[in-house]
Amino acid sequence: MFKDLDPILHSQLRLAVISLLIGVKEAEFTFLKEKTNATAGNLSVQIQKLKDAGYIDVIKKFKDNYPQTICKITTKGIKAFEEYVKNLQSYLGKNK
Amino acid sequence: MQQKELTEQESLKLITEMIGKTQSHFHESGASTILWGTVISFCALVSFAQSFWNFSIGFDIWILTLVAVAPQIWIGIKEGRSRVVKTYQDSHIDTIWTVYVISIFAMLVYANIVSYTSVKLLAGDGLEIFSKNISTGEVKPYRIFPPSFSSVMMVLYAFPTLATGLITKYKPLIAGAFICYTCFVVSLFTSFTYDMLLSAIATICCWLIPGLMLRNKYLKQKKEKDV
Repeated sequence: MFKDLDPILHSQLRLAVISLLIGVKEAEFTFLKEKTNATAGNLSVQIQKLKDAGYIDVIKKFKDNYPQTICKITTKGIKAFEEYVKNLQSYLGKNK
Repeated sequence: MQQKELTEQESLKLITEMIGKTQSHFHESGASTILWGTVISFCALVSFAQSFWNFSIGFDIWILTLVAVAPQIWIGIKEGRSRVVKTYQDSHIDTIWTVYVISIFAMLVYANIVSYTSVKLLAGDGLEIFSKNISTGEVKPYRIFPPSFSSVMMVLYAFPTLATGLITKYKPLIAGAFICYTCFVVSLFTSFTYDMLLSAIATICCWLIPGLMLRNKYLKQKKEKDV
């Protein structure tokens, strides 16, 4: 019996963001943008979706008079990611 | 990167790729390491020179270490602002160096207070320690000071350096820390004069040289990124 993959994570950009955040304590929007090669608009939308799902925390601050967005993965996000990888491994195991 | 549905294989590939990107992110500029490697080795060399050639510059050269706190704060603020990502590794290394700074400060307080406290405690028991010059027979009160204090400081210099080197797997820091431990062992058998020379060698090897190498790596990476 295979569980459905989490639809929030099973999309390219959101999975990329979560995969980046799983390995770091926190990351700025500019870092995520650089590593994913996404457009600012698209990335903002996907970050908002992850935030709405409770998978990440978004902190907005000002740095040198410029807005700064810092993203952190939450405990719920870590659990969801672990579950996603576990299910992914089950699917891949099945298809071997 | 587009927003699209993925196959299971693509998902796994993407996760691996992104995790790899965070691990390869390198931002250590080496500025703090160079600063402290320069300041401590300079102070130690001046102390060695004063003791070896028997002259005085008229003030305690180690005051420079307090002066160096100002540029260190500036470096810390500047690097904190330019840091776009904070890894767990960064966080652990920051903790190690914070504990190191507290420990160094505690050791300096210890060295300055314990001498007077010991004299007072001995006096309370009706005791006083004297030293006798075996050539002239002259006897004078002996000022108690932690013996070979610079040796203890070298152990302290090596500790955060080795921990950082092992966490980051940066070989120049690991090698520097081992040279520092070697200087510590040698210093157990040498006088204050040579302890100062060994302290200079230790800090040049464990901070200044790895710091310059880190700086070189950082500038190279920055140049590549800007092209």
